Amino acid sequence: MNRSLPLNVALVACLAFFIVLIGLPFWWVVSGSIKVPQEIIARTPTMFPQSFTLQHYQKLFEASDYPVYLVNSLLVAGSSTLLTLVLAIPAAYAFFRLEFPARGVLYRTILLAYAFPSIVVLIPLFGLFAKVGLIDRLPALVAVNVAFALPFSIWMLRSFLAGVPKEIEEAAVMDGAPTLTILRRVMIPLIAPGIASVGIYAFVTAWTEYVFASVLILSDARRTLPVGFSGIIGQYQIDWGLLLAGATVAIVPVIAIFALIGRGFVSGLTEGAVK
Amino acid sequence: MQQSKALAFALVAPAMLVLAATLGWPLVQAVQLSLQDVRVIGSPGTFVGFDNYRHILGGSAFWNAAGLSIVWVVANAVLQTALALVAALILNEKFPGVRVARTWIILAWIVPTVVVVVIWRWLFSTSGGMINPLLIQSGLVDRPIGFFATPWTAMATLVFVNSWRWFPFIALMILAGLTRIPDDLHEAARIDGANAWQRFRRITWPLLAPTLVVLAVIGTMLSFNVFDIIWLLTSGGPAGGSRTLPVLIYETAFKSYRLSEAATISVLATLLLMAFAVIATRALDRDGAER
Repeated sequence: MNRSLPLNVALVACLAFFIVLIGLPFWWVVSGSIKVPQEIIARTPTMFPQSFTLQHYQKLFEASDYPVYLVNSLLVAGSSTLLTLVLAIPAAYAFFRLEFPARGVLYRTILLAYAFPSIVVLIPLFGLFAKVGLIDRLPALVAVNVAFALPFSIWMLRSFLAGVPKEIEEAAVMDGAPTLTILRRVMIPLIAPGIASVGIYAFVTAWTEYVFASVLILSDARRTLPVGFSGIIGQYQIDWGLLLAGATVAIVPVIAIFALIGRGFVSGLTEGAVK
Repeated sequence: MQQSKALAFALVAPAMLVLAATLGWPLVQAVQLSLQDVRVIGSPGTFVGFDNYRHILGGSAFWNAAGLSIVWVVANAVLQTALALVAALILNEKFPGVRVARTWIILAWIVPTVVVVVIWRWLFSTSGGMINPLLIQSGLVDRPIGFFATPWTAMATLVFVNSWRWFPFIALMILAGLTRIPDDLHEAARIDGANAWQRFRRITWPLLAPTLVVLAVIGTMLSFNVFDIIWLLTSGGPAGGSRTLPVLIYETAFKSYRLSEAATISVLATLLLMAFAVIATRALDRDGAER
């Protein structure tokens, strides 16, 4: 509002710095993906494309398994998100709205799980999944992604549940509504922004997961995007055009989802924590 | 009442079961594995007691990796918290487009790590890329810098890339802490003639400090676990210069196929991290109680 001039200058300078820091790499990648190869590796880089070609995209979708990876990733991330929500919402409701013995201990265990070094369970999980025949199957990845997203998701819902006035719930109880009905008809609609935030968090967690997907999936046809894409990096003589096109396509789905409900996610993280 | 307790358990149980099956039980197995001598996954091993621990703790690989992990965690904590704090302070101001900025700052965090890796591998590359030509053009250097060529530059570059990916997330958490500070405090101080720096130093900073401590703890956990950025950019090299504990565990298990040793290292790493977590939360609890 009323800022002194030097403060305004500093603000604009910092803002420009961050826009460059975050935006420029993305701009270079996206604009690079439509440049002809000679321009990509030119000694004097161009800020705006001087050439236009779709050859990298053509190669990406016709000569590589990229479309398969994309579909696998969407399947895994989509199911992980759904399952995370189905598990996290009831659990969070019970943790923060109901009284039961050992609540504190269980909640702390969940928080501890968040800090867990995931690589520790990689080796035993491989053995476990081998026993139940889940190696090289996408559900194995869903199980892992859900486990990693759950602790933070439950924690994130806390502030949203806390924001619902006790009176609303009490009124429903007075009317004789059973607990489950209260959860479904009263709480879930009221914490919808929180649910959107958790959904984005779970989706991003699954969409970006690399380590487990690289170890638990063996056949090329079941690879997710991060692993399949990293394979493309080594497979060809570094073909920057192809990589930049692949990177651009991997960015698009998350940007699309984020453009739709991203604002909810951010205010979920910030305003949710206020209460 | 009895019935509602049962219901509460029923609501919590599915989540707890998933966590127990995918995190708890494997952890128990990791401990078991570390006390045996197993090479192939699934094959029976002989019980060797603490032999693996003696072997690991007696060698230099574990200590080197532990040292690098500490360097990694501290450097990331400093860089990403500093960037995040400045970003959060800006996003807490009012200016045209602030809502858009608040949403899209997170861009670097929502794209797959492998994309982050491709972006920076290309930008830092010595053939093509953007950074080297720009540095040469501006006259800062006269030949391309091999950002991943020496252990220290590789480590520094990795820290930069990882912090670049994570600082927006931390910034939003700090922003949450900032929005909790009532505007009236700043307004009152302004009327009393306090300048921007004084208001930051006397109001924002003390009220924000607890949030920063919590975030430093969370950030430590998160960056300790980072594997993919390091693996995809340097594979722990050059000359082991970026072989942190997660990289060492992965290499031991899936490159050298010494499963029991890998399990031993991972149990040690977990103990280290858990000890840190317990001490940190204790300290936080005490802090909170005093307030």
